[in-house]
Amino acid sequence: MTVLLWIVLTPLALCVAAVALVFLVAIVRGLTRDVRTDPGAAETAARVAAHGLLPAERQHTERAAPLAPALAVALAAARAGDWAPAAELLDATAEARDWEGRTALCERLADLAAEEDGWLRDWEEARPADPGAALVRARGTVFLAWNVRGGQRDEDTTQEQAEGFRRVLARSRAEHTRAVALAPAEDPAPYVGAIWTAMGLGLPHEELRRLWHEVTDRAPHHYEAHFAALQYWCGKWCGSAEQAHAFAVRAAAGAPAGSLLTALPLIAHFEHDTSDATDVDRTPEMYAAVDALLADVTAADPDHPRLPEARHLLAYYLWLQDRHTEAMEQFRLVDGYVGALPWRYKTDPAEEFCRARDDCAGHVPDGESRPPLRR
Amino acid sequence: MGATLRALRALVLLAGFHLLGLLLLALLGALDWVAWRWAPAVWALKTYALSFVLAVPVVRGMLMLRTPRDEGVAGVPVTEAEEPRLWAAVRELAGRVGTRAPDEIRLTADMNAAVTEDARLLGLRGGTRRLYLGLPLVAGLPEARLRAVLAHELGHYANSDTRLSGITERSRLHVARTVGRFEEKSGLKVAKERARQERKSARRVAKGKTAKEVDTTGAGFSYRVMARIYTAYGRFSMRATQSGSRRQEIAADLAAARIAGRDATASALRALPALDTAHEFYLNSYATLGVEFGMLPPHGEVFGGVRHLLDARAEELAGMRAELPTEPATPYDSHPPTAERVATIESLPDDGRSAEEDRPAFALFASPEAALRAVEDATLTPEALSMRRLDWPELVHASMTARYVRDTEPLRTAITELPGTRDDRAAGEGTALDLGLGLAIARQTEAFLDAVDTGAVWDLVDRLPKSEEAAAATGRAAREFARSSLRRELARLLTTALTADGRARWQLSWSAPASLLLPDGYADELPAALDAAIADRPDTEPLRKLLATGGAL
Repeated sequence: MTVLLWIVLTPLALCVAAVALVFLVAIVRGLTRDVRTDPGAAETAARVAAHGLLPAERQHTERAAPLAPALAVALAAARAGDWAPAAELLDATAEARDWEGRTALCERLADLAAEEDGWLRDWEEARPADPGAALVRARGTVFLAWNVRGGQRDEDTTQEQAEGFRRVLARSRAEHTRAVALAPAEDPAPYVGAIWTAMGLGLPHEELRRLWHEVTDRAPHHYEAHFAALQYWCGKWCGSAEQAHAFAVRAAAGAPAGSLLTALPLIAHFEHDTSDATDVDRTPEMYAAVDALLADVTAADPDHPRLPEARHLLAYYLWLQDRHTEAMEQFRLVDGYVGALPWRYKTDPAEEFCRARDDCAGHVPDGESRPPLRR
Repeated sequence: MGATLRALRALVLLAGFHLLGLLLLALLGALDWVAWRWAPAVWALKTYALSFVLAVPVVRGMLMLRTPRDEGVAGVPVTEAEEPRLWAAVRELAGRVGTRAPDEIRLTADMNAAVTEDARLLGLRGGTRRLYLGLPLVAGLPEARLRAVLAHELGHYANSDTRLSGITERSRLHVARTVGRFEEKSGLKVAKERARQERKSARRVAKGKTAKEVDTTGAGFSYRVMARIYTAYGRFSMRATQSGSRRQEIAADLAAARIAGRDATASALRALPALDTAHEFYLNSYATLGVEFGMLPPHGEVFGGVRHLLDARAEELAGMRAELPTEPATPYDSHPPTAERVATIESLPDDGRSAEEDRPAFALFASPEAALRAVEDATLTPEALSMRRLDWPELVHASMTARYVRDTEPLRTAITELPGTRDDRAAGEGTALDLGLGLAIARQTEAFLDAVDTGAVWDLVDRLPKSEEAAAATGRAAREFARSSLRRELARLLTTALTADGRARWQLSWSAPASLLLPDGYADELPAALDAAIADRPDTEPLRKLLATGGAL
């Protein structure tokens, strides 16, 4: 009659066995998660490393390119409370009438001023009517407003953030006016900053057109001015996809080679691209746009402060169009810094950048890793 | 399936509910017997212990199965002498439905109407019939639609081809109630365990150790196991009888459409979910606005006030009536989804009664106000009944002011503790009472502005609770968050000071949240004054002027 005992014990044993099985499955799952599913991944990683490219954890996510040594020194000095090197650099751009360089430099200094502005206040006290200090002050307030707001879309921004953003940004209006008053007559920089303020505060289109007039009178093909105005015309700020595209195409069409304004149609496309597939990135128009930017980048002054940003965007679209060799060339030139579009909008910019780059590297045969010969 | 079979099935299902526990115990007993008979002694002992552990919750579960006590008869009965027209209408509808009129009509405070029957001998004989009529429902419906609702409810009486169908409903009710009690009980145990662990963890913290996470997974385990078994069975029997009861709802709807008219019935069905939502909102945002501060609307208005809300938000409600829930409220709701019911009614041929003249359902009442007061007296707790009664506008102003006074209290206390607060300004407890609340708060606001002038305020602002974003901010951004915080607190304090002495008033609105009516010109000057006070070089003069003008200072 031990049969009956077994009848009783068997379900118990089965239960224990089932639990053991569940644990086993969990353990195996946990293990397999660590194992790369892609057998070619290790090979690609090795190849990428052999090219001297950096892993995701060593990519700089704040900047699109390394800082110029002089700027690095000026920023360090400002951080330590000494404003003079920064002021000297900024004055030099005005003397050289290098407006592109002036706004790029101002952006860096303003970024620091939005964190801590003791050095800037010393600067303002030492030279009460300094155009550079006024410029950095106004632009710093814009950065500060965005630091309060955070980078989320409107619906994910809290009421507190939105209130602080508007309050701080509203202060920058008067500061931009003051910067305009102090600036050299031909300097577009304060107007460029004012475009960002107009965008954040949602000022009417007439106001932007007025600013735009002032900017283009002084610098008709200024990159940051165009970039800012394009953002203003984007659907998420004050315009629409149509307005943004129209603006971008017009700007690109009228721009001389090397101005990098051919990046604008790609940015407009990127900002309004909601599709998950790459079909929209492989239309004849998009091939033409990428070709135009490729030519523009080649023609640009190697010291153009926005050149790395353009290369990032270019690499991204070349990759999406499966032009791996050309993409790889751009990736190699900007590797190490990923603080630019399109990576900047992703949750993990370095990871996205490396994924795209490594995918390209996987498609480029060894030996062709040098730039291809041009005809 | 015939009605008799249906009733029989219900009986079997109900009996199964009680047999479940016995069956489980029998199983355990059989296990023990097998072990005693054939297993080695060690195994047998283990089996006894195991089955004992398992038997405990089963026995406890069976004890809980005792028929739940009747939940008492709610509402206020109305006699025919008190409300002859209401009774006449109900009798007339019952006659047309073809059933015996209810023996009692009881008025309740729910946005609902229902009928019950105390069936005897398992429903073989009919008993006392009660019609429960919620006054908020009466307030929310025109007469024709209320008639449709009543016809529907009376239709439930008539719809029974045989009295036995009462059993189905009763067993459903019984199962649902028991499952509910199980869940309540295990929930209660979890709550008790949580409280116990939290006390313990508080002691740990007091002793300087880190607090342990509260873990209630083990508590009420046996209850939850039993609840799960019985809930599973309950769900099974609910599902088995559900199609029947949903058919009965449709039958009652059709009866209502025949008697009260197709359009009235359809629009009553459409109106109910919207009225439910509106009523809930009314109770939360209006009727109980001042309850925390011991204030209620006037006698008769606690449940009657929903009329004002329904009038003011008629358009909003019309929008809600247009979109209907297509899902049943719960998986074992005895009613089909409203959208389905409406569709069934609206697919009937036009009976040409849409043009009938309509008047508020309260016209059926000789004295709606008296009814509302009686229901209020019967429904509210003695504690609530002893609360202060205020007219609606006064209630809104007083409640909102009290809320602001309470919410600013931590800040105001902190102000009086600031170093350097001048003695004549510091409103200590004794002086606060002497000065009157408005004056005390005005003085505390002045002291706060002094702190803004000296910069001492930033320490205080830093100690206020912060949002996640504000806490994460560093450098100038953190200071801007602090500035936002200071601006909010200043505005709140000033509002409190102005409302406490009556210079500003909270305005009642039935169609929007309460709004603050500031003295003339304040609304224009306030933003600039606040901005001046929170600037890098603060200027508190504009705010002080606003605070002093026409004020008690």
